[in-house]
Amino acid sequence: MSKPLVEIKDLRIDVRVTRKKRLQIVNSATFTIQPGKLVGLIGESGSGKTMLCRSLVGTLGRRGAYIAGGQLTFDGIDLVNASNKEWAEIRGKRIGYIPQSALAGPNPVMTIGAQLGEAISQGRKMAKTEIRERAIELLNIVQIRRPEVVLKQYPNELSGGMKQRVMIACAIAQNPQLIVADEPTTGLDVTVQAEIMDLLKRIRDEFNTSIILISHDLQLINAVCDDVVVMHAGATVEKLPSGEIEDSHHPYTRALYESRIDLVEPRGKLRTIKGQPPAVGAWPTGCRFALRCDFVKPECTSATEVPLLTLSPTRQTACIRHKEIYK
Amino acid sequence: MNLLEAKNVSVVFNSYGSEIHAVKNVDFILPQGKVVGIVGESGSGKSTFARVLTGLQLPTTGEVYYLGKNIQEGTETYKGELRKAVQMVFQDPYSSLNPRQRIINTVSEAVRQHQSPIKSEAREIAAKLLARMGISPLDANKYPSSLSGGQRQRASVARALAAQPKILVADEPTSAIDQSAQSQLLELFSELIAEGLSVVLVSHDLGVIRYLTDETYVMENGVFVESGATQQIFKSPNNSYTQKLIASIPGSPH
Repeated sequence: MSKPLVEIKDLRIDVRVTRKKRLQIVNSATFTIQPGKLVGLIGESGSGKTMLCRSLVGTLGRRGAYIAGGQLTFDGIDLVNASNKEWAEIRGKRIGYIPQSALAGPNPVMTIGAQLGEAISQGRKMAKTEIRERAIELLNIVQIRRPEVVLKQYPNELSGGMKQRVMIACAIAQNPQLIVADEPTTGLDVTVQAEIMDLLKRIRDEFNTSIILISHDLQLINAVCDDVVVMHAGATVEKLPSGEIEDSHHPYTRALYESRIDLVEPRGKLRTIKGQPPAVGAWPTGCRFALRCDFVKPECTSATEVPLLTLSPTRQTACIRHKEIYK
Repeated sequence: MNLLEAKNVSVVFNSYGSEIHAVKNVDFILPQGKVVGIVGESGSGKSTFARVLTGLQLPTTGEVYYLGKNIQEGTETYKGELRKAVQMVFQDPYSSLNPRQRIINTVSEAVRQHQSPIKSEAREIAAKLLARMGISPLDANKYPSSLSGGQRQRASVARALAAQPKILVADEPTSAIDQSAQSQLLELFSELIAEGLSVVLVSHDLGVIRYLTDETYVMENGVFVESGATQQIFKSPNNSYTQKLIASIPGSPH
């Protein structure tokens, strides 16, 4: 196996609540991203997936959060202790970011051309014609028709799908090695969603870009990604190739998979997960899924730490009872 | 008699001098006790049409009938009984609840309006309603900001049910919440449907439509391009647009 592009190990992210109070929001994220792979990160709201993303683009500080421990390396560079200067060379250049809200993503008072221009020049001096050529090239890559016209338009003149395409064009402007896509299709239609996903896959194949796709839609992740990483309450609970999701070795992944509505008859009994995900700061000791799990045993809650067990080179699970439950 | 019926409804918006035809001459029937879905892309006019059904938006031309009565007769639409009978659940659970009011107060206000003017009684009814929606008394005393999206959406349903409606118009109720919260909400909906509530469900999520509805209308550019029994539409879609929608479901072979 080649060297991974991104390595995350036991990453812990804290938020400053008051001067003295700290809240853990992610505390044991562990996974790797191989070059040219599409990795899906799935979890419910509050599982820490967006914060994990922000740690990859170095914008944690804006929310009062910081990396409190663990390792985060990108292409051999230690991102935990990276200086602002180092970040300036990485963010937007080697790691592209597609934000969650396509509708609010682009700056409403700048033309598409001006925004793309910023992403292309990154503050460097460049000839206007050169920027324009590159902008048109990028818009062609993301399959926007009549790019010359779109360059002069403002975001409010574009549809949601087109706005998201523009955001993707900005993200790939510097040919990054990694694209972080935080719920890129939330709020978009299924047809547009399918188009955006095809676009991401095409970018991966054409430019050998690694992509981390964050979503709470397991069906979507399973359909488009190579690997799936499942987060629950700030911890990675499972990692597996997408084709093997039916054979998951963690009750949480199973429950998520089985709560899909296309598996049941109309108005049949849905399999729901009991209760709510544990709130940030109120995580139970031991396995944090224990309270919602159907297979819970005393040893699940008594253990102080639930390690990520390796089942095979491509699969890891954080369920200590997986051998008994899934034979 | 049909519970709710729209005849030849059009909605035209004026936008900087140009006319936008959001909904064009559509007919729609909601039979008693049925669940009817409206699917389509954003901008197809489905939300506008849902607002027409609830009386929040006046149709430019055409009529809407509730139990055979034109809802636009009289000076105001949906007066009294009619306003009670049709309730709406909005798309965004984050902005549809008053952020300055505790959940229990939001719901009991609706109860006082529609069921009992006595404060203590209204509070009791509201608490029961919220408990049915799976919101504990502890959570009911919180502000919307400290609840999850799924809980907020269930609180919105509780508020809508406070009016004891005959019809619930739900505009994308599941699009902003997690998958596990979505299954909880859908289960709640199927319980309410089993109790006789009629529902108009607007969604672009075909999985939800397939799971919950009896009949489906497919909307494109303000017109219903296909309608019929949901199972039939999913099994053999006639219209090319419907086929495209179904092919876009993640994981479906295309």
